[in-house]
Amino acid sequence: MNSLSSYLFVAAALFSLGLLGVLQRRNLIGMLISIELMLNGANINFMAFNRFLAPEPAVGQIVTLFVMGIAAAEAAIGLSIILALFRQLRSINIERAQELKG
Amino acid sequence: MMQLLKDPILLAVATATSLPFLAMVVILIFTRHNVRLSCSISVGSISISLLSALYLLITLRHATAPIEYQTAWLLSQNVFVSFGYLLDPLSMLMLTIVATIAFLVQVYSLGYMAGDPGITRYYAFQSLFAWAMMTMVIAPGMMQLYIFWELVGLASYLLIGYYYEKTSAQQAGKKAFVMTRLGDIGFFLGLVVLLLGYGNLNILDMNQAGAAHKIPQYLLTISAMLIFCGVIGKSAQFPLMTWLPDAMEGPTPVSALLHSATMVAAGVYMFSRIFPFFAASPTAMAMALAIGTITTLLASTMAMATYDLKQVWAYSTISQLGFMVMGLAAGGYFAGVFHLTTHAGFKALLFLCSGVFIHEYHTNDMRVIGQKGGRKLYIPMICMTVGALALAGIFPFAGFFSKEAILGVLAGQSNKIWLIGGLLGAFLTAYYSFRLIFFVACPKEMAAGHGHEEADDHGHGHGGHDSHEGHHSYIFWCMAIPLIILAGVTLVLGFSQSSLEHFLLPQSAAAHGAANEGGHGGGHLALLITAVSCAIGGILLAWWEFGRKGAKQEGFLRRFVRVEELFARRWYMDDILRFLLDSVVYCGFTNIFTRNDRRVIDGGLDGFCRFTVGSGRVASFLQSGMLQYNLMVMIAVVGLIILVFVSR
Repeated sequence: MNSLSSYLFVAAALFSLGLLGVLQRRNLIGMLISIELMLNGANINFMAFNRFLAPEPAVGQIVTLFVMGIAAAEAAIGLSIILALFRQLRSINIERAQELKG
Repeated sequence: MMQLLKDPILLAVATATSLPFLAMVVILIFTRHNVRLSCSISVGSISISLLSALYLLITLRHATAPIEYQTAWLLSQNVFVSFGYLLDPLSMLMLTIVATIAFLVQVYSLGYMAGDPGITRYYAFQSLFAWAMMTMVIAPGMMQLYIFWELVGLASYLLIGYYYEKTSAQQAGKKAFVMTRLGDIGFFLGLVVLLLGYGNLNILDMNQAGAAHKIPQYLLTISAMLIFCGVIGKSAQFPLMTWLPDAMEGPTPVSALLHSATMVAAGVYMFSRIFPFFAASPTAMAMALAIGTITTLLASTMAMATYDLKQVWAYSTISQLGFMVMGLAAGGYFAGVFHLTTHAGFKALLFLCSGVFIHEYHTNDMRVIGQKGGRKLYIPMICMTVGALALAGIFPFAGFFSKEAILGVLAGQSNKIWLIGGLLGAFLTAYYSFRLIFFVACPKEMAAGHGHEEADDHGHGHGGHDSHEGHHSYIFWCMAIPLIILAGVTLVLGFSQSSLEHFLLPQSAAAHGAANEGGHGGGHLALLITAVSCAIGGILLAWWEFGRKGAKQEGFLRRFVRVEELFARRWYMDDILRFLLDSVVYCGFTNIFTRNDRRVIDGGLDGFCRFTVGSGRVASFLQSGMLQYNLMVMIAVVGLIILVFVSR
C-alpha cells in the first residue's frame, strides 16, 4: 500500500464521517462542524494529489488555502443564521424548523 | 368630399339620409336639456331630408337606369359586400314616403307630446327611426339593408317602450323586438345561404340573376323562403303577427309612423325590392300568397271584436300588409307597391286622428270616446272618416285604386280561392272600420256608463294639456294640420295611379299598358263592381248594427259568443305562442343550455380546479420540511450521476 492511497483513505474516511454527521445530526452546530469535516477531507485529497502527482507544487496548496478561507466565511454566515434561527425558535434543533412543510 | 360637392344628386341623397342621424347625435349629446332646441333640430333635419327626397324624385323622374353609388365594405375572394346608395324609382318613391310621413308625424308630435318630460329623448329616437328607415330604403345591397333593417327594429323597440315606467310598455317593446328577431334569424340565414351559394348580395344583380335564372333553382327557393321569414317578422304576418297590436303601448304618433311608413312597411318594401328574385321561385311565391291570405283574414276577424281604437287600426294594418303581400306574391309588383304607398298615407291619417281623440279624452275605448262627444271634434272626425273610406276601398279615395289593382292581380290567378279571400278581407275591412266610425259618431245614450273603469288604464300621463286656452289651440293645430294634409293626400293620391305606374315600371308599362286595358276590360269591370259592393255591403252592415237610430250597437258576433271570444283573444295565438315558448324554449332549449352550463362548463372548470388542488396536495407530501431529507435526496442524486459517469 503506497502512501498516496493511505492519505486518500484517511480523506475518504473524514469525508464520510462528515457526510454522516450532516445527515444524521439534528443539532445545527453539529451539522456545521460536520460540514467542516467534509471540507477538510477534500483538503487532504488536494494536498495528497499535489504532493504525489502534480508537477507544479503550488496549485493544490492554493486551492486548499481558498477552501480554508471559504470555510471560515461559511462558518461565520452559518453561525449567524443559527443565531437568527435560535432567536426565532428558542432552539437549534433542525426538526423545529419545519415551517415549509407541505 | 369634392365629388360630393360636385354631384348634386349624391349630395342630396347623402343629406337626406345622414341629417336625421346627426340630429339624433346632437340631441342625445348636447341639447338634451333644451326641449325647444331639440325639437327644432329634429324637425328641421327631417324637413331638409324631405326636401332632398323631393328634389331627387323630381330630378330623376325621367331617369332610365338606376343610379348606384357604392364602395366596398367587405371584400374577399368570392364575396363582395358593398355600402352606398341605390336610386331607382322604387327606392326614391319609398324615400319620399318615409320622409313625408316622418316629417308630418314629428310636426304632429309637437302637439301630442307637448309637456312630456322625455320629449327630447322622443325626438332623438324619432330621428334614429327616420335615419335607419331611409338608409335601409336606398341600400344597394342586401347586407346594408339587413343592418338598417335591424336598426329600424331597435328604434321601434325604443319608441314602443317609450313609457318605460309602464310594465306593459316594456313588455310590448320586448315582444316586438324578440318576435321580429325571430323572423330576422331566417332572413339572415337566407342571406348567408345566398352569399355562400351565389357570392353577391347586390340587389340589382340579384334581381337580374333571378329573372334570368342564373341562380340554381333549389338555392333560390331556399334563400327566398328564408328571406321571406324576415318579412313575416317585420310586417307582422302569420304566425308572428301578435306583436303589432301590443306595440300600441307607445305614443300614438309612434304607432302612426310604425304602421304606415317605417317598421312594418320595411318588410313589404324588402319583398318588393327584390321582387324579380322572389318571382323566380314559384314555391316561395305560393308560400307568400298563402301566408298573406291567412294574415288578411285572421287580422280582419280580430279587428271585429276589439273596442280599443288603436287596436282596430293595428289589426287593419296587419290585414292590409297581408293584402300587399298577397298582391306582390300573385305577381302584381305595381299593385303591391301602390297599395304600400296609399296605405302609408291613410293609415298614418287614421292613427293621427285616433291620437287626437286619445289626447282629448284620455281613453282608447271607442265607446267611451263616442259617449264623451268625440264627433264634436270636427276636423279629426272628418279626417278619420276619409281614412276609413280609403281603408274600405271606396271611390274616390286612395285605397280604392290600390285595392282594385291588387284584386285585379288576384283575379288573374288560376286558383280563385285567393280572390275570394281578398274580397272577404275587403268586406270585413269595411265592416270593422265603419263599426269604429259609427261607435264614435253615433254614440248610444249613456246607458250604465260601461267601460269607464277601463278608461283610466289607458291615460298616457302627458302632463301639459290642461293649461290655458291659447296653448291648447297651438297643440290642437299642430295635430290638425298634418291631418288635413294627409286627408288631402289620401284624396289625391289615387288619381296618380297611371303616372306612378309609368314611373315605377318605365319599360313594361309602355308595352303592357295597351294590352292590359284592351285585354280584360269586361272582367275588370265585373270585379270592380263586386269589390265595391263588398265594401259597401260591409259599411251597410256596420250601419245597420251600429249606426242607425235605435241600433243595439252589438255586432252579429254577439250571437256567437265562442267565436267572438276566439276573435277577441286573437285566435289564441298569443296563448299558442306562450305555450310554445314555455314548452319548447323554456323547457327545451333553456333547460338543455342550463344543464350544459351547470354540468359541462361549470363542471369542467370545477373539475380542472379540483385536479390542480389535488395534485398539489399529493406533491406537497414530498415537501416534508426536513432539511436533512432534502440533503439526502440531493446526495443520492449526485451519487447516482457520478455512478453513471464512472460506469461509462
